[in-house]
Formats: sequence, structure tokens, C-alpha cells
Amino acid sequence: MLSLLKSAILYAVLLVWLLAVVMPLLWVFAGSLRSSREFVEDPFGIPWLITGSPYADNPDVDTPWESVVADFRKAWVKSKFSRFFFNSVLVTTLSLVGIISISSMASYVLAKFTFPGSKLVLLYFVSGLMVPAQLVLIPLFFQFTTLSRWGTALLAPFGYEVELHDTFTGLITIYIALSLPFTILVLTGFFKSLPSELREAGIMDGCGEYGVFRHIMLPLSKPGLVTAAIFNFLGIWNEYLFALVFMNSDSHKTLPLGLAAVSIQAQYRTDFGLMFAGLVIVLVPTLLVYIVLQKQLTRGITVGALKG
Amino acid sequence: MKRTWEQTCFIAVFLAPALLLFTVFVAIPGARALLYSLQKWDGLSEPKWVGFSNFVALFRDDLFRIALGHNLFLTVTAGSATILLALFFAAVLHRRVRGSAVFRVAFFFPNVIASVAVALLWLLLYSTTDFGVLNGFLAWMKETVGWPAVSLPIPFTGKPYLVYSVVPMLVWTATGFYMVLFLAAMEGIPESFYEVAELEGVSPFGQFWHITLPLIREVVVVGVVFLVIGSLKLFEAVWIMDNEWPSKETHVMATLLYQKVFSEYNVGYGSAVAVLMFVLVFVATLATLRFSRREALEY
Repeated sequence: MLSLLKSAILYAVLLVWLLAVVMPLLWVFAGSLRSSREFVEDPFGIPWLITGSPYADNPDVDTPWESVVADFRKAWVKSKFSRFFFNSVLVTTLSLVGIISISSMASYVLAKFTFPGSKLVLLYFVSGLMVPAQLVLIPLFFQFTTLSRWGTALLAPFGYEVELHDTFTGLITIYIALSLPFTILVLTGFFKSLPSELREAGIMDGCGEYGVFRHIMLPLSKPGLVTAAIFNFLGIWNEYLFALVFMNSDSHKTLPLGLAAVSIQAQYRTDFGLMFAGLVIVLVPTLLVYIVLQKQLTRGITVGALKG
Repeated sequence: MKRTWEQTCFIAVFLAPALLLFTVFVAIPGARALLYSLQKWDGLSEPKWVGFSNFVALFRDDLFRIALGHNLFLTVTAGSATILLALFFAAVLHRRVRGSAVFRVAFFFPNVIASVAVALLWLLLYSTTDFGVLNGFLAWMKETVGWPAVSLPIPFTGKPYLVYSVVPMLVWTATGFYMVLFLAAMEGIPESFYEVAELEGVSPFGQFWHITLPLIREVVVVGVVFLVIGSLKLFEAVWIMDNEWPSKETHVMATLLYQKVFSEYNVGYGSAVAVLMFVLVFVATLATLRFSRREALEY
């Protein structure tokens, strides 16, 4: 009897937290379905879109469906959420490709070859974990012109010109560089766990060093690469501070940056319909990705933490 | 084994991109920030060496002291609430409660939402307008049970209250993450330990206190380090909730740094804040790691 009471209490506490987590989200989704008139007259009820509007007979008042569509259209088209969304997809994808290829190459070499200073190189990378992003942020901002010039000089033979300020190139490069310490730490650990005999066998069969990496080691390390990619995905998709500092023009804003800018403007104009619509546009993809990748996400994140 | 020329080339080519990027975009800027913190510079004219006077100015400046105080306040309050709640939920779910998968998946979700979106969501929850759900709830409570007897609506995100209003938001976001972290550690504990304890008639709390907690201690310490680092670097929560323009009453270190550097062009001051953040992160990490290494339990 006593244990029954105890588990009832435990369940109650769990349920309270469940509600605390779920209700605000449901509330935002419900809010995004409300018209501005509804926010004033019936802010806590079930949205009129579902129950039916009390103004259904009045042709001068927009139907709930019309006002919801208008809000989302305003967010997606006029406030450029479509643009922000596309930018975020682009920046995140290219960053991840860069992070995984560059880190896997470096990690493979650091895990499978010993050369003078190899331990020191690993330590050099890993020490970056201690550096808060803010420390790097200020000099990067003021050195970007110089760095752009260096980049242009470096890539001159290929006919490229490098501009890092307010460009995707700049932001992606920073994201790649900043995620190297963690990614290299995790991937080096992973490559170390693969048997070295595989490499020797591959060399014997005439694969060459690159062939061994590309056709033997890389396919085998897929679980590690996926974990690293997922871990970095969230950080980059949600990143705000660097985007805020480096992306000035509207057409280059990523989703978090655009959401913040639009919402704070909308708040001053008390355009809450737009705010809710914007939030939902940001939350839906996150929710979908979470539902699909939920297992890998929780594993990836805790693996990172437990190894670190 | 003798290294061939091909191997040397391979190593160099594979390491070069990572080394180059890390050096140019992390290591050198990191070192540069240390130099900036010893200079007086507006970002344009010739920088002037001023020694440690930026740091001296920092600690004489109310603005910085208050910001640092906010960081410490948030670390202690939100941090301890998060750890306690996460430990509690992890312990409950670890003992195979029915539906534990649902709880785990739901509790973790706030952690994957962009912190900007979380801050905006809470800004709306705290709103003083008609739809502000927290104020609405308090108004309903006041009407029905006559408590709390305060004047409504409460401007939760107004200047003097904002720092306190950030606490529930941080706990809401982080608890699921630490719960999953602790749960992963708990799953590594052999079931037989609990079976023996059960036979000996040890209460569930006793089992948690004498078996679970000592065995996951290292992970809890890692969690504490994460939390401390996270609250020292906190930016979006305050930045967004105070409409991208925090002031003396609401600043944390990161928002102060941003304002000093990017709108007042006081690069030396801002860099000194960044360097202090780095030192604090470094010290917090080392101290906790040293403390935890003392007696790691083996099983």
C-alpha cells in the first residue's frame, strides 16, 4: 500500500514535469493558430480555427483560417523566413561536410600514425576545447579583412577571391574551425578502436594510404562520423552569436538570427501573430528532426559528454 | 617500420587543412585576444599598450561586477536546480518506471531547440499582454483562491525581475540533457548491486544514495563542469529577453562583452572580459577535474 502511494507520488512528479515541458510548446502551436482579435478576446481557449469563430456571420472579419494563412504567409514571404531557412540549410550542410571531411582526415592520421610530435598535435587541437567562443570572436571580427586578403592570396592560383565578412564562406569557415577540437577528439578515439591490421592488409593488397583511408577506414568509422555529425548539426543549426556578429545583410541571415530580428521588431509593433508564426516555423523542423533522430541524438550528445 | 616518402606526404596532406584552419581561426585569434586585453583600442586607430589597466578598470566597474554577479547567481541557482532535478528524474526512470521512454524523449526535447527560440518562447509565456499565460494563470489563482495577493500583471521580463525569470527557463531547457547524461551512466551499473541491496532490505533512497550516486559520481562532476561553463558563457537568454539591448540591471558577462566591443568599440575592455571568462572556464574545469579524480570508484 505504501509503495503504491510512493509510486503514485513519483508518477505525479514526472507528469508535472512532462506537462511543464509539453504545455508551453502546445501553447505556442495553439497561439500560432490565433488571430490578433482572438489574442485579445479569447487568448486561452481552444483556437477558433478549431472551435469556430464567434464572428462567423460577420463578413468584415477574416475567418480564422484566413488570418492564420495570412500570418504564416507574412512570416514566410515578407519577413523572409523562407530565405533564413534556406540559408540555415546551406550553412549547416556545407559546415558539416567540411567538418567531417577535414576532421576525419586529421583524426585518422593522429590515431594510426606515430611521428615526431604526433601527441603534441592532438593536444594542440584538444586544447581548443578550453577556449570559449567569445575569446576568438573579437579578434576574428577585427582581423577578417586581413584574413580575407590572405585567403585571396592563397587561392589566387585557382582564381578565387575570398571575402569572409558577411558571407557564407566566412561563417562556414568559422563553424568548421571551431568544431575541430571536439570532432577530432571523438573521431581520434574512434579510429584508434579500429584494428591497425586492416591498414597493413590494405597496403599489402596495393590500396595505397589514401585507398586504405577512403575504402576501408572511412566506411568502418561510419557510426563515429554519424555521431560527430549529429552533435555538430545541432550546435550549428542553432548557433546565434557568430551569425549575429558576422552576418549583417538581411539576405544572409540564418534562421535563429532572422527569428530574433523579426520577433523583436514584431514585438514592438505588437504583431504577435507574426511572432508565433515565426516560432512555429523554427520549431517544426526541430521537432521533425528530433522525432526521426531522437535515439541517435541522445546517444551522440551523451557519448560526447562522457568521452570529453 | 621505416616511413616512406609517400607516407610522409600522406600525413602532411591529411593534417594540413585542420592545422591551418585551427591555427588561423582559433589559436591565433585566441592569443590575439590576450594581447587586445592589454591594449586600449577602438578598432580603428593605433592600439595603445596599457598593461593590466583594463582588468583593473573591470573590477572597479559596477557594470562588470553586477554582470559577473548575475553569472554566479545563475550558476548557483539554475545549476543546482538542474542537477538535483536531473538526478531525481534519472534515478526514477532508471528503476524502470512504466512509460520511461516517453518521459525521456519528452524531457530531452527542450535541449534541441535553438536557444533563441527558447528565449522567445519564454518571453511570450511571461508576457504582460492579454495572452501572457503565466500572468493569466496568476490572475485566475488570485480570483479563485485569493493568492498570490500581488498586483498583476507582473512584468517578469522587466529590468529588475529578468535575471530571476531566466532561472526557470534555464532549468526547463537543461534538465533533460543532464537527466539523459546521468541515465546513460546509471545504465552501466551492474543490476546485481541492486539485487543484493534489495535482499538486504535497503530502501530505494538508500540504494540511490549508497550505490547509484557514488558510482556515477564522475559523470555528475562532468555535468557540473558543463553547467558552470554553460552559465559563464550564457548569452542568448538575456540578450533576447531584454530585446537585444541589455543594461546594467540585466547584463551577464557575454552580453556586456558584446556591447562593449561591437557598439562602443571598447575592444580592450571587451577582450578583458573575454579573457576573464576564459580563465574562469579554465579554473572551473581544472578544479572540478582535480576534485573528482581523488577517489574514482572501480567496479
